[in-house]
Amino acid sequence: MSIRAIIADDEELARHILREYIAHQPDIEIVGECDNGFSAVKAIGDQKPDLLFLDVQMPKLDGFEVLELVDANLAVVFVTAYDQYAMKAFDAAAVDYLLKPFDLARFQTTMDRVRRRLAEPSAAVPAAELRNAALPPGRYAERIVIRDGARVHILPVAQIDYVEAQDDYLAFKSAGKSFLKQQTISSLEESLDPKRFVRVHRSFVVNLERIAKIEAYTKDARIAILSDGSKIPVSRAGYLKLKEAMADQ
Amino acid sequence: MHPLLQNRNTLLAYFAAWLPLGAMLGVVVSGAGHLDWRATLAFIAPLTLLLAFVCLSPWYLCRSLPLNGTPRWKLLTYHSVAAMFASALVLFVAPFLLALLARFRPGIEMQFQPAMRVLAAMCFLFFLLSVALHYVLQALETSRQAEVLSREAELKALKAQVNPHFLFNSLNSISALTNIDPAKAREMCIRLSDFLRNSLRLGERTSIPFGEELALAGTYLDVEQVRFGKRLRVTQDFDKACDACQVPPLLMQPLVENAIKHGVASLTEGGEIALSAHVSGGSLLFSVENPFDPDAPSQRKSGFGLVNVRNRLRARYGNSARLDIAAGQGLYRVNVTVPFIKEAGKE
Repeated sequence: MSIRAIIADDEELARHILREYIAHQPDIEIVGECDNGFSAVKAIGDQKPDLLFLDVQMPKLDGFEVLELVDANLAVVFVTAYDQYAMKAFDAAAVDYLLKPFDLARFQTTMDRVRRRLAEPSAAVPAAELRNAALPPGRYAERIVIRDGARVHILPVAQIDYVEAQDDYLAFKSAGKSFLKQQTISSLEESLDPKRFVRVHRSFVVNLERIAKIEAYTKDARIAILSDGSKIPVSRAGYLKLKEAMADQ
Repeated sequence: MHPLLQNRNTLLAYFAAWLPLGAMLGVVVSGAGHLDWRATLAFIAPLTLLLAFVCLSPWYLCRSLPLNGTPRWKLLTYHSVAAMFASALVLFVAPFLLALLARFRPGIEMQFQPAMRVLAAMCFLFFLLSVALHYVLQALETSRQAEVLSREAELKALKAQVNPHFLFNSLNSISALTNIDPAKAREMCIRLSDFLRNSLRLGERTSIPFGEELALAGTYLDVEQVRFGKRLRVTQDFDKACDACQVPPLLMQPLVENAIKHGVASLTEGGEIALSAHVSGGSLLFSVENPFDPDAPSQRKSGFGLVNVRNRLRARYGNSARLDIAAGQGLYRVNVTVPFIKEAGKE
């Protein structure tokens, strides 16, 4: 059975090299080529490939965002020109990564790894953690990508009111709407700027700009009332973090 | 060389500052000797001039005795001895001057005799005052030099950078072309070499004609054209007169690089980069415009290229250059205005 692969890179010449090298591999079949993040997400959903060659910098969605939006358990090979922070992340999570330009011998090595990886099923790439690891120090997520059926929502972090953890999902609340995404609240907390977002409770992260006031509830617990009137619980530890973050402003 | 002697204006200001000091000297001396203003003026004016020159000398002494790192006693002794020499010099010259004046007004030397001690004390004080002033001058000079040095080092580092993304992606394009179109691969090798060579060469200079900057940006776009193919379109609208204007090197090229990175590369269908340059009212105005994806994360704010260009404009032109950004409706435009300077300037 052949390995079904998708190439996602916005540069035609870069895709060409991969096509050329893949032609030397009898067991690989290219089932899709994409020149932007959206079409990559769609193609992966439609084709359910085994292998993805993924450029990091692409129009519409970057490589990490693409991974966050697909739930297929597939082998990922990052293909990138230069990114010192992303490379560390790749080492930890991707099957392999190729630095442009690369030669056929290097590509063969990658393919050997891919074959080994596909022979023994393993867990999916933890996309959100991978993304966090690739962020340079002091840089934070500027937008959240969420898939809703066939649609993709791009939510700039400034538009988030608060986020609530619900079982395995996070509910992103923005202007009265709610978007569900499979992610852990701690990985979200890590990706957001601590000066703007505070985890005020085990299951809640809040946008500081939205807090109108904080009221006492019980002896240890408080309630934050947001500018749109919604109320979210604030734990004792959360209150301390909140005070600290607000003092910094 | 003494900084006050380097520039006629500062030297004039220095002597102007001595006018009130000379007047003070005159008042004190005439008071002590019960003299009329004419005699005092004739006597004090040349001495003040002499003292003004003598009080420039602490520059050298202050340089060899830095405030930090010289023991207090040494500072005190050296400068006091120097001050004594200074006043001794004035006292030595004074009798000759009096002898000269005595030809016009006999007996004047006797009249000035009681004022000599006051004169000596004043000279001593003025000299010490000048020592203090020189330490202040030196501190200013040191901090200014440190600032210039750090700025130069920073600019050098900024100019020398070639974006690794650009370099590796270009090499990757060449790698692909070797199989598809060897002649084009060779052409791109040459374009890339041209660009690298020229950016190294121009980056080392302080000023270059704007025409060369345009040519550099053009070579850069030639390379990117191969990489992006149909996705990249360029329009140019340049006045020929712009070419001669002297500008710091690598002023426009980083803006063009941004236009690709944050503009054309962020759009699947690519877009058009519009470059323009005009001369108007003693200024050179140029602009770089590109379409962008409004949903893309805004890396502009931390845009290294833009900050770099802005800092370099400020370093070179102070407030007489401007960099404005206009963004809206999917178009991003950077406008730069610099004074039109034709000759090479100080290099």
